[in-house]
Amino acid sequence: MRAVVFDGVVLGLQFGLLGVGLTLVYGLAGVLNLAYGQLAVLGAVVAALRIDAGAPTIAAVLTGLAAAGAVALALDLTLMRPVYRRRGEDRVLLGLLLMLGVAFIIDGVLVWRYPIEALTLRIGGDPVDVLGTRMRTGSLLASAIALGVGAVLVVFLRYATAGKAVRSVIQDEEGAQLCGVSPARVRAFVFALSGVLAALVAVTRSMTSPVTVNAGIDFTILALIVAVVGGLGSVSGAFLAGVLLGVVNTVSAHYIGTYVTTIVLLGAAAVTIVLRPSGLLGAGRE
Amino acid sequence: MPRAATVGRAGTPAVRAYAPIVVTGALAALLPLRYGDSRAMMGVVIGGVLFAAYTIGFNVIFGSTGQLFLCTGALAGLGGYGSAILSDRHGIPMVLSMVLASLAAAVAGGLLSWVAVSRSLGVIFTGIVTLAFSLSFENLLLGKRDLTGGETGLVVAAGSDTFLGEQVAPFYVFLGLVVAYLAVYRALQRSHLGWAFRALREDEIAAELAGVDVKRYRVVAGTLGSGMIGLAGALYAHSEGFISPRTFSFGEVDVLVIVMLAFGGIGSLLGPVVGAAVYTVLEEWIDSFDEYRLIIYGSVILVLFLTLPRGVVPTVLAFVGRLRRWWRARRPRAPAAPPPIATITPR
Repeated sequence: MRAVVFDGVVLGLQFGLLGVGLTLVYGLAGVLNLAYGQLAVLGAVVAALRIDAGAPTIAAVLTGLAAAGAVALALDLTLMRPVYRRRGEDRVLLGLLLMLGVAFIIDGVLVWRYPIEALTLRIGGDPVDVLGTRMRTGSLLASAIALGVGAVLVVFLRYATAGKAVRSVIQDEEGAQLCGVSPARVRAFVFALSGVLAALVAVTRSMTSPVTVNAGIDFTILALIVAVVGGLGSVSGAFLAGVLLGVVNTVSAHYIGTYVTTIVLLGAAAVTIVLRPSGLLGAGRE
Repeated sequence: MPRAATVGRAGTPAVRAYAPIVVTGALAALLPLRYGDSRAMMGVVIGGVLFAAYTIGFNVIFGSTGQLFLCTGALAGLGGYGSAILSDRHGIPMVLSMVLASLAAAVAGGLLSWVAVSRSLGVIFTGIVTLAFSLSFENLLLGKRDLTGGETGLVVAAGSDTFLGEQVAPFYVFLGLVVAYLAVYRALQRSHLGWAFRALREDEIAAELAGVDVKRYRVVAGTLGSGMIGLAGALYAHSEGFISPRTFSFGEVDVLVIVMLAFGGIGSLLGPVVGAAVYTVLEEWIDSFDEYRLIIYGSVILVLFLTLPRGVVPTVLAFVGRLRRWWRARRPRAPAAPPPIATITPR
């Protein structure tokens, strides 16, 4: 039982990390980034290509992260401009549709150029004992990265000046502008950050199982569910939701098995939303 | 939120209100003259009409009351699989099975809507709950192999030896369905329900204060629209003779329906039809690009929404309205009336 729960936590931290990037961009810019999973895969493919070309793993991974971040930044500076000129539901809808188009384009380019590319990072070393359960080094490293990044993000948002600027724009765009915070700059920063985070998820995922070219849509849907269950705009909420869903997932996979697990997972997500309509740690607004 | 076409408001004469539907139906009825010889082309045309039907159903739910139902495919699948299993396995007459399955879809949609309304879920949250329903349903189809045939799909026999198995006849059945749905949509717009829907969309709190029972109207729209989607799915199962989880999957139905409605114009009468038609033509064209069709597809979506963010139908209607005002202003009625002291712009 303990091993199953541990596996669930490991998976859940990945879910959480996945949700964070999406949740920040939505909370901040009101854009539901439907190309989020595609950005993740893009980063993974770039990293895999660099590794194929003989680059050291760390450098290849960093290149992958930078590539995803750069594409996200470029999207914010070009395509999202007309979106930001709108408010409320108009903005959400247009942003969602444009990002859907972007998702198709990235998917199309990747599947066309690199149909069989996949990123697998082999983390060597023997399984490590954690509280009497043997864990693979790969999953431990992945969890450590997820936890570390989560902690850095929380601290950054709470204490750093730039982080406070981000939170102020999430709370009230016009108010922040009146206080001298430039929403456009904050948005560009967070958009790029979300691209990097997306690629980071693909990288940590590849430590336990290969990330293939067509994994984008699954990443996006999972990220959406995690972000919404956790409360849009809340970093710790995303991690909490991720761990909750991760544990539900592995426990049900272990005891019930097969296809029912997905249904249990989705059911858990739906029930959480119905019980807490603004998400676990949501601020009570959409 | 884009405004609905003003022609639909109660008070416009019935002839003017329903004329666009008659014209659309008559024009579409000519399609088999050109494509009736080719089974493949008729398949494409029928697909387009089917999606117009789905999109009108989705428009009743999302366009009228702002509930983002990301389960159009699942509701259609409930209709399709439900009707197929009832008629083929349990020997229930085909028409009755379609009615029962559509009712099941209506009840499912109504329940989802009721949950969303009673917990006052926002747009995105309603979207995720219905998305969860959608993905669960898809998994259920894949898992319940003995009932649904799993991934391989299900051959539906009941409709094959009726006229639904012919080449052109099913087209007219679907066209009839779309015309009926359009009429239902317009009747809704003109009824007290339509007033309530509009009030609710413009300003929910104001509508509630004015005595509109927001919750009830949302659930009514959710139930009605879902039933419409379910019936279209059921009809498709019998006319096509084969269904699989892909036929009703999120990626194959919901994504298209949203793109079609947003492109045609949310909350407009003919938006779903225009969206479905343009999309079907574009898809045929894009498919010829083969290996980079996804790239073209994505680019087309970007261009469409960047140039026409409000949708085709509302943009055209606004343009026609402006043209008409300009025309009237050009020919002042003699003798010229004294200029009004204050002008109240009619809304």
